[in-house]
Amino acid sequence: MRMPKFILLVCVITFISCLYVRQQTAVYSAAYAGQKKQASFEELLDKNSLLRYNLKKNTSLICMGSKVSESEEFRMPDNYLLVKVTDGSRNRLNLASQKTYKSDNFVSRLFGVKRQAEARTLNP
Amino acid sequence: MHTANYHRRAKAVFFVFFVLLLACIARLFFIQSLRSGYLASIAQKQHNLFVELEPRRGTVYDVNLKPQAVNIAADSLFASPVEMKEADKQKAISKLASILNLDQSYLKDRFLRKKSFVWIARKITAQQSEAIKNLNIKGLGFIKETKRCYPNMYLASHIIGFAGLDNSGLEGIELSCDKYLKGETGWATMLRDARQKRLDIYEKIYLPKDGYDIVLTIDEVIQYIAERELDNAFKTYHAKGASIVVMNPYTGEILAIANRPTYDLNQYGQVAKDSRRNRAVCDLFEPGSVFKIVTASAALQENAVKEEDRFFCENGSYRVANHILHDHHPQGWLTFSQVIEESSNIGTTKVAQMLGPEVVYKYVKLFGFGSKTGIDVLGEISGMIKQPRFWSKTSIGAVPIGQEVGVTAIQLVSAVSAIANGGQLVKPYIIKEIRDKNGETIKKFSPVLIRQAVSPEIAARMRKILTKVVNNGTGQLAKMEEFSSAGKTGTAQKIEASGVYSHDKFVASFIGFAPAENPAVAIVVTVDEPHPTYFGGVVSAPVFKKVAEEVLKYLKVKNHPIGDMAKLNEVKRIN
Repeated sequence: MRMPKFILLVCVITFISCLYVRQQTAVYSAAYAGQKKQASFEELLDKNSLLRYNLKKNTSLICMGSKVSESEEFRMPDNYLLVKVTDGSRNRLNLASQKTYKSDNFVSRLFGVKRQAEARTLNP
Repeated sequence: MHTANYHRRAKAVFFVFFVLLLACIARLFFIQSLRSGYLASIAQKQHNLFVELEPRRGTVYDVNLKPQAVNIAADSLFASPVEMKEADKQKAISKLASILNLDQSYLKDRFLRKKSFVWIARKITAQQSEAIKNLNIKGLGFIKETKRCYPNMYLASHIIGFAGLDNSGLEGIELSCDKYLKGETGWATMLRDARQKRLDIYEKIYLPKDGYDIVLTIDEVIQYIAERELDNAFKTYHAKGASIVVMNPYTGEILAIANRPTYDLNQYGQVAKDSRRNRAVCDLFEPGSVFKIVTASAALQENAVKEEDRFFCENGSYRVANHILHDHHPQGWLTFSQVIEESSNIGTTKVAQMLGPEVVYKYVKLFGFGSKTGIDVLGEISGMIKQPRFWSKTSIGAVPIGQEVGVTAIQLVSAVSAIANGGQLVKPYIIKEIRDKNGETIKKFSPVLIRQAVSPEIAARMRKILTKVVNNGTGQLAKMEEFSSAGKTGTAQKIEASGVYSHDKFVASFIGFAPAENPAVAIVVTVDEPHPTYFGGVVSAPVFKKVAEEVLKYLKVKNHPIGDMAKLNEVKRIN
């Protein structure tokens, strides 16, 4: 009677030990998998922050200002600036549209912009 | 017989096993009790890894919460020379030199060390990191760190300052607010596997506390306008240096501070120290005629003169003790108002002689000269003003016209703001608030009134006089088409090493505010040693005009968004 009990006890202990080992293995493999995912997630976050930084840098006033000032002087827009379509420009517009009609073929006439607006600000 | 032998043998075997068991128990006792501490520490070292957890350094924002200093992740390259083969070392030296722009001798020195860890390059760019990873050299590794980056490069560089490789502030706000920005380092003990590979399983963890964010009073747009116009003047007049300060005269909020020469914050290591100096706060200079606002205010406040009182300006030559004082343009009779408009040294000296040294000195101090303004920027100096008992006989012809005194640009903007805002001397400040990462305000800074320098009535009379300076006097190049402005020009001779006033080195300055009736900004422009033109009214006044004009338009748009503007404006279509 004693021996079977002893064997049963040993089996139970062994089974519990195996379960414990299995649990630890599962924990570690989950940690490895999580670590991989965490690494790729952090990599994406880093890339995102780098992209955002580059975007911010390229749209900074310094960057845009230097690009604008290469061609002409940039000035702050004011709320009084008006738009006027002048007669002269209208004549030029007609001439331009006539020229376009003569030189363009049927397809470009069909899909092209027939009239173009020409505007200039009244105030400097 | 056989049974007796059997029992003996069994006893002997039992005895042997019993002795072995006792030995095991003894060994177990020795390990578990006597050596347990030592062995446990060895095991802990093998299984656990102590790591420091770096906190996020706080962001620096402008007043509109546009980031000026941010953190981005960067790889740092290290090598383990003891694990590397000779061929790998040679390959690494030749390839890394070109990728990282490093000297081969420097790399050789690093790779020949018999160490398991040496830094090769800290916080390299993403492209460099990618190129090195593609080399696939065994023994090289990367550690992720955060790098401080400045998206606006040189914008407000002297204010923001920079942080070093270890993310601790070295200059500017980065240094002065380092205790708020840096946060608190955390730590963790992590598990390692049998191959010493780190597992993200924490035994113990103390989370890092992220640094607080700093919100400045600087407006990125105004700062840009100020930088651009100052840069134009600096280059046009081949100046040695230049500064501009834009301030809200009522609150003391600094909207922009720019200096020339300047530098890119992302490349702070490559510039001379001279370029990193915040001249507006750290540099002392004789202000020249802009200082006449103090003498004029004193005369009006003491009721010694009225605007219409007439002074004879001696046709441009006037003796004070053993010194002969000159006016740039010889003048005859001028009213007090015209004395300031035309910036007559002789007229101003005669006014100061009526007041006496003690009164002049009193108002110099009342306007904040000779003491620090208290601005929250490192390196501010107090300037220099002698007490009347140390004045020479010629001092009464020098101090009232801005000689024999040393001031800073920040003191000048503070003084001119007092005239703009009704006589109140306010403390300039640059940090608006400190926030945590959730946007909650930790500390807020409010305007501070230092003292009433002159009465509101005198300040109003001074505003009228200074408006005339711009409309009819020496400051006409500061006159704007759409807005009124008031100000004072100054052209100060610099002192040579020999102690005499130079005839070719000047400081051209302009101090003023706009609009004259209800000032929104006070501006000081100083240009050090401009060539060939050196007059404040020619060199600095146009800078004031351009900056004030654009800033006022910007503030108008900012305070009235586009939607409101459309309703306010009369939109016409002219056919």
